[in-house]
Amino acid sequence: MISFAIFFFFAAIAVIFAAMVVLHRNPVVGALSLVASFFALAVMYVLLEAPFLAALQVIVYAGAIMVLFLFVIMLLNLQHQEEPRTRPVQQFLGYTTSAAFGLALIYYLAKYGVTKLPDGAFVSDARTIGIKMFEGYIFPFEMVSILLLAAIVGALLLSGRTGVAKEEERS
Amino acid sequence: MHGIDWVDVGLSGLKIAVVLGAMLNVTPIMVWVERRGSALIQDRPGPNRVGPFGLFQSFADALKFILKEDMLPAKANKVLYTIAPMFGLIPALTTIAVVPWGRPFLLPGGRLFEPIIANVNIGILLIFALASMGVYGIVMAGWASANKYSLFGGIRASAQMISYELSLTLAAVSALMVAGSLSLPDVVWRQTGSFVLFNVVKLPAWNIFSPAMWIAFVVFFVSAFAETNRLPFDFAEAEAELVAGYHTEYSSMKFALFFMSEYMAMATMSALITTLFLGGWDIPWYNEPPNALGFALSVLSFVVKVSALLFIFVWVRWTIPRLKYDLLMKLGWKVFLPAAVINIVIVALFIAKRWI
Repeated sequence: MISFAIFFFFAAIAVIFAAMVVLHRNPVVGALSLVASFFALAVMYVLLEAPFLAALQVIVYAGAIMVLFLFVIMLLNLQHQEEPRTRPVQQFLGYTTSAAFGLALIYYLAKYGVTKLPDGAFVSDARTIGIKMFEGYIFPFEMVSILLLAAIVGALLLSGRTGVAKEEERS
Repeated sequence: MHGIDWVDVGLSGLKIAVVLGAMLNVTPIMVWVERRGSALIQDRPGPNRVGPFGLFQSFADALKFILKEDMLPAKANKVLYTIAPMFGLIPALTTIAVVPWGRPFLLPGGRLFEPIIANVNIGILLIFALASMGVYGIVMAGWASANKYSLFGGIRASAQMISYELSLTLAAVSALMVAGSLSLPDVVWRQTGSFVLFNVVKLPAWNIFSPAMWIAFVVFFVSAFAETNRLPFDFAEAEAELVAGYHTEYSSMKFALFFMSEYMAMATMSALITTLFLGGWDIPWYNEPPNALGFALSVLSFVVKVSALLFIFVWVRWTIPRLKYDLLMKLGWKVFLPAAVINIVIVALFIAKRWI
């Protein structure tokens, strides 16, 4: 009963702040709302008896990624604090795409019945996840790390910190 | 649904009251220590008029904070400006809940009393998760003040904390690998007892005395200064460059909340360093009996270690000048991050060879 009340409280927070991200015109407020939404989502993991995932959700998404988002927004957006109004065609495309996506999500969730938990005890401590990741899913895991490495190298290249640029910087 | 264990609820309430009381008292005591300590280091008297040794100066300060006018800048974002100080305070107050502060013992009646508020098996992750929320208080304050110096303070804080969180977490991984657990009581239990270093000296089995941990300890210790925004890494404030950084526009109790969260974050970090590297509540060369006496002695030992670390925080602040900002970033990314990763490999080698 108590967990039911907690679920609805934090579900409401997650939904309200997720709406704020889209509806608020100020990008900084939007980013902070996304943090609140992520945090409420972490509470869902705790209710599903997966505290490890909850902690990772907060550390990685709310703690690390969103700080970088805020950093970039604040750094690039010093002058105008409000975004310019969007054009009608952009609004139309945005609304139709998200509506289609929402309908597809509801359809497939209903079709494959993923709205209830799998049977049996749900073990999600660090040991279980670590063993699973390095035995069953070692290939996708390493693929993701190579993908991230490629992204880092690409970012370095785009920011111009290559050999030639460095030489110019020094002189 | 089973019945509620009221004794357990009562004990939890008691533990929360004790820890919360201690944390709230850290600020006035540390302010006094900081002011008297800085005076000692700079060879001047310091506050010595209010009460014996100026001890009541902090209470006078608190009264001043409460009575001051609460200013709100005209262009500030009112909601964010108001909740920013609270956002800073909550992580500083809550992280201490998973740190064990004494040896567990059996109460009369056969109930095990564990001196820790929340004994969760992901203890350290909870600390890092909540600590990573702490930066939002500073960033929000910096942005909502609508002041360019505040904004720079906020931007600097976000870059700095992201950088040093990585080395802090990776340095902690070394200690967790040795314990084989994410739970902080396990980390402390692993460090009880003693071992013989190089067949010469008998040392307590604290992580800091193990050669595999030295790099991790240095990285964690220095990164702790950066995470708590203390000199030599206080770039979010940097009064010589940014007026007062992120809290330039704040006054009255809102400013006091930032002040409190800084000292509480210091206390939490000291407790974490103690737990991960200095044996937690363990007393060196002494086997604490599993009763109330052992509990009391272990709590005393924990408090002594944390206080010593807090004094080192003050000592460092008034001894080492602020770094340059590019140096801070270089140190974080090019020195501490690789060092912490190398140390993980070293610890893995030690564990594989069973030297530890």
